[in-house]
Amino acid sequence: MNYAISVRHLTKDFRIGIRGLKLRAVDDLSLEIPRGQVYGLLGPNGCGKSTTLKVVLGLVSATAGEISILGEPSATSAARRRTGFLPEAPYFHKFLTGRELVRYCAQLSGVAASELDAAVEDALGLAAMNEAAGRPIGTYSKGMLQRIGFAQAVVHDPELIILDEPTAGVDPVGSASIGRMIHAMRDKGKTVVLCSHLLGQVEQVCDRVAIMDRGKLVLEGAVEDVLSRRDRHVMTIEAMTPTARAAAEAALEAHGAKITSVTHPRRSLEDLFRELVTGSRDA
Amino acid sequence: MKDSLRRTLWISRVTFLEAVRQRFFAFLLVLSAAMVLSSVSLRVFDFGHGELKFIADFGFGGMFFFGSVLAVVMTAQLFFSEIDNKTALTLLAKPLSRPEFLLGKFFGAWAVLGVFVLVLAGLQGVVLWAREQELVAAAEQAGRIPTTFSIVGLCQLVLLQWLRLGVVIAIVLAISSLARTFLFTVVVGSLAVVAGQLQWIAQDAFLRPTDSPVYTAFLWVSTRLIPNLQQFNLADALVLGSAVVEEGALISVGFSGLAYLVAYLTLGSLIFRRREI
Ligand SMILES: Nc1ncnc2c1ncn2[C@@H]1O[C@H](COP(=O)(O)OP(=O)(O)OP(=O)(O)O)[C@@H](O)[C@H]1O
Ligand SMILES: [Mg+2]
Repeated sequence: MNYAISVRHLTKDFRIGIRGLKLRAVDDLSLEIPRGQVYGLLGPNGCGKSTTLKVVLGLVSATAGEISILGEPSATSAARRRTGFLPEAPYFHKFLTGRELVRYCAQLSGVAASELDAAVEDALGLAAMNEAAGRPIGTYSKGMLQRIGFAQAVVHDPELIILDEPTAGVDPVGSASIGRMIHAMRDKGKTVVLCSHLLGQVEQVCDRVAIMDRGKLVLEGAVEDVLSRRDRHVMTIEAMTPTARAAAEAALEAHGAKITSVTHPRRSLEDLFRELVTGSRDA
Repeated sequence: MKDSLRRTLWISRVTFLEAVRQRFFAFLLVLSAAMVLSSVSLRVFDFGHGELKFIADFGFGGMFFFGSVLAVVMTAQLFFSEIDNKTALTLLAKPLSRPEFLLGKFFGAWAVLGVFVLVLAGLQGVVLWAREQELVAAAEQAGRIPTTFSIVGLCQLVLLQWLRLGVVIAIVLAISSLARTFLFTVVVGSLAVVAGQLQWIAQDAFLRPTDSPVYTAFLWVSTRLIPNLQQFNLADALVLGSAVVEEGALISVGFSGLAYLVAYLTLGSLIFRRREI
């Protein structure tokens, strides 16, 4: 199968200081990211997620190992034309307006002059940035920076979109809307790769996940397979009484099944927050 | 090729915008302009060649000094603002080659210095012209031969100074592509400019016919690594006609400047290619 990104035995050492002390950021990592899915790369701070993405994009050279991106052996300019990237903690030329920035990025990504205006407005619309697009980027809030970053990453209609912590510093309403943008991309058949520390969100958004620790891969698979415990079952019961419970327990026991825990379902703080709050003023 | 040129142009356009929207540029431009204009009030009143020379020395000195400061500090700043703010990450993840990025920075900064040199030379021309009119009138009354200045010479000087600043920018970019910090780049860049300015002295002072060929070769190479920046300073000769400058000499200075410029940009691109962003 032709993968969007495939990484084979990737190792990356950084040299630190003048004595050339080596720091292994990525250690013999192998990954295959299928096309058309949302792929989450998880792991604690400093485990090498961003470094892996930078190697894939050719911004940093690999110490050992091979990568291929969209069928190309490395991040050639042809491959990068079909890729969009949002770096972590993005920061853009603050003297440009949002629209100027997206336009500049579209030009550099090879969008034809005749399609430029439409592409820029589409991307701004997708990121819900039309209103603020005329303001200098220096005046943007963190959430707006992330969204203008998202707009510049998708303006040239790339096949592969790489987002490094797209929701860092964004409020739950904003990150839910980024989640929707990501799904919109997947529905158009794009591949999305993202890093995040918000596991709840990753669970909702991603089809597959990989978990890294100290530069190594510790788990990889489809979210469904990884998370579901097929030997356990959860029922949600309304209007339960002690007698009903005793009867149910007896009935289950008769078939060799056993209830191991009874709790009340909780809603997440995020759901509660979203129920109560309508949206930030930037949105 | 056409796409490549276009991308370079877009980078340089944004670089130019970034530079001229900074206070640093406006500040140095105003400072240098004030220096040119203040030379009017500092009159020597000997109504001779000395006064125009004084005005020219003062004004071109400001252009030369502040232009060098601008070329070193601004170029390093324009480069490191992209690296430190990580905007380079966003840009270089696009179908943009490293040399295109570096060339874009170069042309953006060079255009800013073009504006700087043009504005100052324009002011300088007006000041010289106004004073010349007065001096000519005074000289006619006294029955002396008036001194004049050459507009063509001024234009040639503008081009030479611009070329000199282009060489400085190319050197600073080559240093930037290797350096980790802004401060290091500014310090080493300034040293390179000073060395370039004094290079011709070193060439004369250290070279004696009795020296061994190895030493001579070493000196030859090391003095060739740093361009002789003094050769562009022909203000007196070109503008006031204090000495005759042959066209051939002018052209050879131009070519040597261009050669250094291209060499340093190539070197910078090669180093920058391997840099980890
Ligand atoms: N340019 C660099 N020079 C030296 N070390 C680096 C460099 N970039 C990253 N590292 C080191 O490599 C390791 C991995 O960093 P990386 O940024 O990939 O982590 P991450 O998984 O993205 O972390 P986070 O979740 O905090 O973003 C860290 O220990 C970091 O200190
Ligand atoms: Mg990271």
